[in-house]
Amino acid sequence: MFKGIWSTLVGLLVEDGQLAIGALAALAITWALANAGGDFARQLIGWLLLILVLMLVVANLYRAGVTARARVSSARR
Amino acid sequence: MDPVTLAIHATPAFVASAVEFVEATTIVLAVGVTRGWRAPLIGTLAATATLAVIIATLGVAIVTIVPELLLKGVVGALLLLFGLRWLRKAVLRFAGIVAVHDEELIYQRELAALRAQGLARREFDWIGFLVAYKAVLLEGTEVAFIVIAFGAAGGTALTAATVGAIAAGIFVIALGAALRQPLTMVPENWLKFGVGAMLCSFGVFWFAEALGMQWPGDALSIPLIVLTFLAASWLAVRMLKALLPEGAQIEARNV
Repeated sequence: MFKGIWSTLVGLLVEDGQLAIGALAALAITWALANAGGDFARQLIGWLLLILVLMLVVANLYRAGVTARARVSSARR
Repeated sequence: MDPVTLAIHATPAFVASAVEFVEATTIVLAVGVTRGWRAPLIGTLAATATLAVIIATLGVAIVTIVPELLLKGVVGALLLLFGLRWLRKAVLRFAGIVAVHDEELIYQRELAALRAQGLARREFDWIGFLVAYKAVLLEGTEVAFIVIAFGAAGGTALTAATVGAIAAGIFVIALGAALRQPLTMVPENWLKFGVGAMLCSFGVFWFAEALGMQWPGDALSIPLIVLTFLAASWLAVRMLKALLPEGAQIEARNV
C-alpha cells in the first residue's frame, strides 16, 4: 500500500525523466538569473521561464514523435 | 468571498479533481457491481477519512507555517512538473501515440479480475474494501495535491480549492450513483489537456512571483499564459500527426 502511494507521488511529478530534468534545469536557470540580474532581469524571468518550458515541451514531444515513427516503420517492415 | 468569486476561483480545482474522481468512481463501481456495495462503500469512506487527515495536517500546516514566497516557489515548481506530465500525456493521446484513457475498458478489466477472486458470502469482503480503499486513496492523493497546489496562495485560495474539489467529488459520485456505469461520457483527455495547461501556467506564474517578478496586470496574466500553453500544445499535436506516417495512428497506439 505505502509502496503504491509512494510510486503515485513520484509518478505525479515524473513520467518522463528527461522532461522532469529539463523542467528543473529551466527553473534553475530562471532562479540563477533572478539572483544574478538586477530589477530589470527580475521583471523578465517569468516570460523567460515560459519560453524555456514551451521549448522543452515541444522538443520532448518531437523526440517522442520521432521514436513513435521509427517504431511504426520497423513494425510495418 | 461572494459566491460568484468563489465559483471562479474554485473552477480549476473542480475540473482537475473531477478527472481523478472519475477514475476512482470507475473502480468503486466495478467493485460494487461485482461484489456488493457494503465493503467498497466502507473502503471509500475510510480512504476519504485518511485523505481528510492528510489535507488537514499537511496541507493546512504547509500553507499556514511556510513563508508565502517560499511556498509559492516550491508549489510553483511542483505544479510545473505535475502539469507538464498531464500536458505531455494529453498531447500524445490526441496525436494517437498513446491510447486514450478508456473508462469502459478499465471497468470491464476490473470486473473480470474481481469476479475471478470469488466471494465468501458471510464474511466481510476485505478484497472489495481494499480495492476501493486503494483506488480512492491513490486518486485522492492526486486530488489532495491539486487542492494544496491551487490553495498555495493561502486563505481564500485554499478555501476555493477545497470547495472546488468537494463539489467535483459530489458531482462525479452522484453521477456515478445515478448511472451505475462507468462515466465514459466525461471527455477526460480534453479535461487533462486544459488542466495540464492551467497547472503549468500557475506553476510559471507563482515561481516567477516567488523570485520577485511582478506580472503585468497581476493574476490577469494567467489567462494569457494558459492560452500560450494551449496554443503551443495544439501546434505540438499537429506536429506529431504530421510526423507519423499516413494512417499510422492506430498502429502507434500500441507502440
